[in-house]
Amino acid sequence: MDVIDRESSDEQLIRAVVAGNNGAFVHLVSRYKRKVFALASRFARDHDELDDICQDVFIKVYENLGKFRVEAPFEHWLSRVAVRTCYDALRSRKKERGNVPLESAHVAVADTSVEERRVAAEARALLEWGLARLRPEERLVITLLELEEKSILDIAGLTGWSQSNVKVRAFRARQKLKQLLEKHYER
Amino acid sequence: MNDERDKLLDNLFSALRTEAPGTAAAEEYFEARVMALIEERSTGQALVSLWSWRLIPWFALIVVMIGIGSAIYDPVRSLDMFASFANGYEEYQATNLLAGG
Repeated sequence: MDVIDRESSDEQLIRAVVAGNNGAFVHLVSRYKRKVFALASRFARDHDELDDICQDVFIKVYENLGKFRVEAPFEHWLSRVAVRTCYDALRSRKKERGNVPLESAHVAVADTSVEERRVAAEARALLEWGLARLRPEERLVITLLELEEKSILDIAGLTGWSQSNVKVRAFRARQKLKQLLEKHYER
Repeated sequence: MNDERDKLLDNLFSALRTEAPGTAAAEEYFEARVMALIEERSTGQALVSLWSWRLIPWFALIVVMIGIGSAIYDPVRSLDMFASFANGYEEYQATNLLAGG
């Protein structure tokens, strides 16, 4: 039997969790939480929602770990679960779409220069305002494409949508954002 | 015009891309919160299944008692096919007689 610690491979940890060792899951969460938080923070409105999304992701992972094929990379599977959970979060709040005030900025910016922070905060507020007016699937695609810098192929793999579908949604999202910005600057 | 808007949008995305979201505070004790949730869920599920297993003998006992009861209860059966109508008619007549109808 393998000794399970923070140095163990993903495969060893997964086998241990499936065998009933919950301690091994703590190592998996520690290893990947930063990645999940970084992705979810692109979609969450505040820290509470961010925490909820990330908890949902890891609970889904825990509950479905038995179905995971160890030959495939765990990180890719985790990303798919995370993207799906973020998409569900976006869909569940469709009633609130369009109500985001322009001043809102939800997650604190990491320590950078004052000017960079100001520009980033303004950009965040403006983009957040625009993104909140998109359909969930458009917002998901444009965020993954432009902010997470994923390729069309990657996004298709993560969402389960066809590449042409992803391209169409990205195009529509971009067009809508441009129209919104134009309207905003006309005011 | 369209190029300008594209450029503006690209600049906005670029500004946001370089920004590292500050999630360190939210990440603190995250493992503990997740494990507590998992524990809570598995305890809840275990309780439901435990109680359903514990209640099985009682349900079985009720079924056996109903079976015994229906085997013991043996009402007198009449061979007359219309007995129930006839009995009902007799009762009707008796009621009318007693009530003065």
